[in-house]
Amino acid sequence: MTALAARNRRRVPWPVWVFLLIPAAVEVAWVFWPALNSFYLSLTRWNGLGPPEPVGLANFRDLLSDEVFRQALRNNVIWAIGFGGLSVLGGLALALALNRPRRGVGIYRSAIYLPMVFSLAVTGLFWRVLYQPDGAVNSALGGIGLGSLEHQWLADPDTALYAVLIAAVWRQVGYVMVLYLAGLKSTDPVLEDAAAVDGTTAWQRFRYVIWPQLRGVNTVVFAVTVIDSLRTFDIVWAMTQGGPYHSSELLSTYMFQQGFTFLNLGYSSAIAVVIFVLAIVFIITYLIRATRTEEAA
Amino acid sequence: MTNNQLSRRRFLAGIGGVGAAAVLGGCATSSSSSSSGGSTALVLQSSLSDAAPKAALTKVVEGYTKHKVTLNTIAIESFRAQLPTYLNSSNPPDVLTWYAGSVARDYASKGFLMDVSDLWTGDGACAGFSPALKELSTGTDGKQIFVPTNYYWWGLFYRKSAFQEWGVQPPTTWDEFIALCKTLKGKGIAPLTMGTGATPWVASGWFDYLNLRINGATFHRELLAGKHSFDGPEVKQVMEYYRELLPYFDPKGRSYSWQDAVTPLVTKKAAMYLIGAFITQSVPADVVDDIDFFRVPPINTSVPVAEEAPTDGYFASAKSKNPQAAKDLLSYLASPQAQQQFITLSKSSNLPTSPEVDTSGFSPLVQKGIKYLEETEAITQFFNRDSSDELQTTADTALTRFLDSPDEVNSILASWQAAAQKVFTS
Repeated sequence: MTALAARNRRRVPWPVWVFLLIPAAVEVAWVFWPALNSFYLSLTRWNGLGPPEPVGLANFRDLLSDEVFRQALRNNVIWAIGFGGLSVLGGLALALALNRPRRGVGIYRSAIYLPMVFSLAVTGLFWRVLYQPDGAVNSALGGIGLGSLEHQWLADPDTALYAVLIAAVWRQVGYVMVLYLAGLKSTDPVLEDAAAVDGTTAWQRFRYVIWPQLRGVNTVVFAVTVIDSLRTFDIVWAMTQGGPYHSSELLSTYMFQQGFTFLNLGYSSAIAVVIFVLAIVFIITYLIRATRTEEAA
Repeated sequence: MTNNQLSRRRFLAGIGGVGAAAVLGGCATSSSSSSSGGSTALVLQSSLSDAAPKAALTKVVEGYTKHKVTLNTIAIESFRAQLPTYLNSSNPPDVLTWYAGSVARDYASKGFLMDVSDLWTGDGACAGFSPALKELSTGTDGKQIFVPTNYYWWGLFYRKSAFQEWGVQPPTTWDEFIALCKTLKGKGIAPLTMGTGATPWVASGWFDYLNLRINGATFHRELLAGKHSFDGPEVKQVMEYYRELLPYFDPKGRSYSWQDAVTPLVTKKAAMYLIGAFITQSVPADVVDDIDFFRVPPINTSVPVAEEAPTDGYFASAKSKNPQAAKDLLSYLASPQAQQQFITLSKSSNLPTSPEVDTSGFSPLVQKGIKYLEETEAITQFFNRDSSDELQTTADTALTRFLDSPDEVNSILASWQAAAQKVFTS
């Protein structure tokens, strides 16, 4: 311990610790403890009545043979790739397009960010209306002569998940755009100008000058996207409730249904543990990779 | 370094405090005491969160002056999820809204519900209720654990003026019914509407009725209790009849909720809707008087006529601190005056369970509903109420899949049976 560090530590007055303890206690009591409990519950069979009955790893074994769970897991993979990929590509493209100050650019930025202020449940209800058999999507297709593509978007198991995905991306894209806009603001314009003077193409400037400078933002966007895609629940629940026949089921909706509709709290805790492990694995691997490259750089 | 040590000690004390807080907060798996109540104050936990029924119950409770009553209204989804916690807590709500049927019986068999048999005998509030209602309110041990206060019926609803325009009559036999569907389809009208998009459970309405008409109420109840197989010959026959109906459903119903599917009926684009009497809540006020219904025609005439009549009411928690007062409140809620007040104010087409309620002021539709149920020989409730919400989802999956791909009926029924088996053994 260096003298400087010791002096710094001594300077923290004790009431600060007391004040810090209060939120820490709240966090432990209301977040960590229930989270730990769900690990314990995942090893039990419990319907909320009486004490939970320990069953070892039976819940996890049941998950492996549960057709709906496997469907939900597959859908979650599609969701993570589709939701993450489309919202990052869309958000980045919009941010690049709307980065330069131009007349009316503020209006575009606000318009694209606007969906973010609605709750996901409202977004879902709104899109459900658009997707109705006589709704705007089908009317628009009919109007431009593509009547043959008209479809019962949310009632067809082949399209339901993607229909919900588009609604979710529509909302998320504005958020990712704002993150990237902030990232672009912190890039050094002198570098880009210098590269332009050297005769680089726009793509080269983006790939070799701007993109490396966005590394910090990318970490944030990646973490936010992975977490958002794993915790997606409300929009699916509002639009399809996982149906028709589980074709748009995600791990989160299946967990909710098992836990709060059927009261299989042990089983749904096991699904929660799977979600937690997936999120942690993704994020830790990414963070480790990101810090390694930073150290190397 | 004394300063530093001091702060460390305080820090450790703080850790202890955090631990204590964690213990306090860690009630997820133990019983917790809910909001405290005075010795005579009663808590009535209600899941009636729709505007009209909520206002109606508030008014009814205001009329009860013997004990102080706190009315807590919780949306049905949370209510259902937390019901075990309510009943299991050391200071539970005294009286709760719920449905008659297997879920209530399940709680009763675990000892969570108060025995209210004395309300069903002598001059008790429920003594005059029909034997069918008494049977519905009886637990597996033969004691009554439920106080039904209103119920409603299912039937094929239609618009009188529409049938007049099209020159058709309500059918009385199955062949007439199919012929009617054919005629209507020929006129470019969707004969049947059904919203199975956001509310797939509606598809169980037809399943229940066809099973009741083909195999009868006894078989239906046993099937839902796991005593018969969903891929047996009886259910296969039901699905054959269901399949006969498929061309007559409005195809857009797959995207609709049950409420959305009322619109084609109102705008005369669809003709008939097999649904509960709650349909009147979703019909514009100027159309309500034009709504009428008829019985699903008999198929197998050797089985007794049965109808679906889901029953709502209350039960009391076994751990209520104030059992006498809770029973008194139940008696009040079951009284003819309270029933009449609730039904009128809640704008539903529900029927009173008490025969003493003066029904002359109710609409002709409700009067017809009362007569309709009096004529029926057996009463079931609805798929989920006669089984469980978990079995209901197996039905939702199977039936909506069947609506989409009726050719796969055999494999659909086989996986339905497998899913149902899992529910029964879990």
